[in-house]
Amino acid sequence: MPQVRIVAKNFMDMVAVLPAMKLDKLYESTFICEAVLRSLPPLAKKYALQMLFIESPVIAKSFEEWVLPDGFSKHRVAIERLLQLRVFLETNDRKKETSYTMNPKFQSNMRKYLVQGGTLPREPMSLGVTVRLPTLEDLEAYAHKQWECFLLQLINSAQAQRLTNFSSSMIRVFQRGLLSSRENEAPRLTENGFQFLLMDTNAQLWYIIREYITTSEDRGIEPTDLISFLLELSFHSLGEAYNMNSLTEVQCKAIKDLADLGVVKLQQGRKESWFIPTKLASNLSISLSDSSSRRQGFVVVETNFRMYAYSTSKLHSEILRLFSRIEYQLPNLIVAAITKESLYTAFENGITADQIISFLQQNAHPRIVERVPTVPENVTDQIRLWETDRNRVEMIPSHIYEDFPSKEVFEGAADFAREVGGLLWEDSNKMRLIVRGELHQQMRDFLRRSK
Amino acid sequence: MASAPSKLYSDDVSLVVVLLDANPFFWAAGAGGGNHPAATLPFAKFLDHVIPFLNSLLLMNQLNQVVLIATGINTCGYIYDSGNGGPEGSDNVSEISSEILLRLEEFVCKDRKIGKGTERAMGGSVSSLLSGSLSLALCYVQKVFRSGAIHPQPRILCLQASPDGPEQYVAVMNAIFSAQRSMVPIDSCVVGVQHSAFLQQASYITGGIYLKPPQLDGLFQYLAAVFATDLQSRNFLQLPKPAGVDFRASCFCHKKTIDMGYVCSVCLSIFCQHQRKCSTCGSEFNQAPREPNSASDTIRKA
Repeated sequence: MPQVRIVAKNFMDMVAVLPAMKLDKLYESTFICEAVLRSLPPLAKKYALQMLFIESPVIAKSFEEWVLPDGFSKHRVAIERLLQLRVFLETNDRKKETSYTMNPKFQSNMRKYLVQGGTLPREPMSLGVTVRLPTLEDLEAYAHKQWECFLLQLINSAQAQRLTNFSSSMIRVFQRGLLSSRENEAPRLTENGFQFLLMDTNAQLWYIIREYITTSEDRGIEPTDLISFLLELSFHSLGEAYNMNSLTEVQCKAIKDLADLGVVKLQQGRKESWFIPTKLASNLSISLSDSSSRRQGFVVVETNFRMYAYSTSKLHSEILRLFSRIEYQLPNLIVAAITKESLYTAFENGITADQIISFLQQNAHPRIVERVPTVPENVTDQIRLWETDRNRVEMIPSHIYEDFPSKEVFEGAADFAREVGGLLWEDSNKMRLIVRGELHQQMRDFLRRSK
Repeated sequence: MASAPSKLYSDDVSLVVVLLDANPFFWAAGAGGGNHPAATLPFAKFLDHVIPFLNSLLLMNQLNQVVLIATGINTCGYIYDSGNGGPEGSDNVSEISSEILLRLEEFVCKDRKIGKGTERAMGGSVSSLLSGSLSLALCYVQKVFRSGAIHPQPRILCLQASPDGPEQYVAVMNAIFSAQRSMVPIDSCVVGVQHSAFLQQASYITGGIYLKPPQLDGLFQYLAAVFATDLQSRNFLQLPKPAGVDFRASCFCHKKTIDMGYVCSVCLSIFCQHQRKCSTCGSEFNQAPREPNSASDTIRKA
């Protein structure tokens, strides 16, 4: 399986590359400390917890004494990560012994958190001011719809009816790498674009947020501010209303963009306006490996290659269209067939069989999720076979040699080509040869000599 | 820069069932001062160590789950379950601690009421209902196992203060074996006067950690450094090992802890005196009683 090139990396990888000054500034917020701690590998978490109430430097050896021989690589990774994120600070004393102390800001923030808990910079608004808050289901549906709408716009689908407020330049930034836009040609999804669509929502959101942050500097916004705001946002209570007054100007601007992504919902009251974080927001600080937010599946694949997708989403039908032929579309059901032709177009677009199969497995309808295998074996096998079908033809750049002056020259050339291992095909009647391209120079030299 | 692949770490999510010993006799014994552990570490201080520890477990991973079960002398009960508290993500620390304190108070009152009818011997040596809370914890773990495909890795942590109750021997051993079968390690942190033979065996059999912290005023540090370690990281670390395990059993007839005794050759029940008939399986022993020292079926102190 080819490596998935779009890796939606962790937030923390972005945090880790920040310069020390900015990083220390970030740690002024308890929530960022918490998010950073949660992102660490387990062993590093344990070390951090152990050091929480120790102020004097602890020599590196005393950490190593705990480690079993098997665990040394893990230990090194953990320590490296802690130093990288400046949770631990390294000091060398005169005897050249390395010792670690915990970042004092981080330490005091975490201690405070454990004993008193953290307080957000803003309190949820009282119910008196905010009339009719959406229920959690409504909120989730809203987030879902917003995200879908954004994705549809992203892939330039004609299905997108309502456009988000993102400027076309912003959208173009997001599309970079996902769509190929050659001159005078309708933009087409690239291989990465397809892979992006098949990822789960969390990973997709990550990709977009990362692009959003990395391009923030061009828009005159400090990436640190954005990162800290986004991390903070992920700790806001789901479904509570927060006053917009409490936001800085930068945050205000960012929150409008986030509303377009479905991360928050904006509401306007008579006097004040507020934002409500959705589930997408609380997932922001979760590392990608935790797929706790997996949605319910909707696809049933039958042994006769027919696929039933119980979904009202246009995005789903767009995704299914990538590798299957849609047969009927009912209000809540999409019936499609996986055919050789539909798969060939998918393969041509750079989607691999494994991606399709894992998509079908991950999105399996709850009724068939329990079944083993979730997708019938004959279907998965056939998808893989069709993929290998395409690889039946091997392309070798080569040269054809013809019009040999005599049979002898031809045979000599054929023998030479065979000797150097480059002969691909010969026709002695018509005196034609096909030889590997990389041997062309040698062939030319040989033919010149034999003349 | 080599950053750790995140996939490998997805299984450090843990479910920790903490059994908190709320034995009033033990904690009250410290009031007189002296060398009693409850004097250096009164219950309120003990909670000051335990509650931040629970918070820190929740802090480590947002999917971590903590269940607190109180062990009384007549009953035991759930005090706190992070799984059903409020919407996800809003783990407010101050709310958690006030909820724990409130529920603990209710529990202690309930425990006393139940005990009213059957007055038990006063004094500092009344044991807590460890078998009951162990069984509650195991039931909870079983419920989690059956609830879905993905579940956190469970482990049980006993914070034991009061001495073992030999009369609970069979029930505790059964709980230990069932924990062993379902691969749930039992960690034990003994803050009481003497070592607990039950918990030594429990941790030994289930592969948990047994520790009796020598300095109780630094309890949090012990908890954080040793007991907060998730099961995956334990594979790479050297954690404290007990110097010796007290394998002594209690006899089935008088519930006394014994070094040597008689064992039924059919069902392995243990007795301190010679019996004509096994009270557990009903097998008849027709051999004449012999001196316990020379008996062939004796158990030895390991």
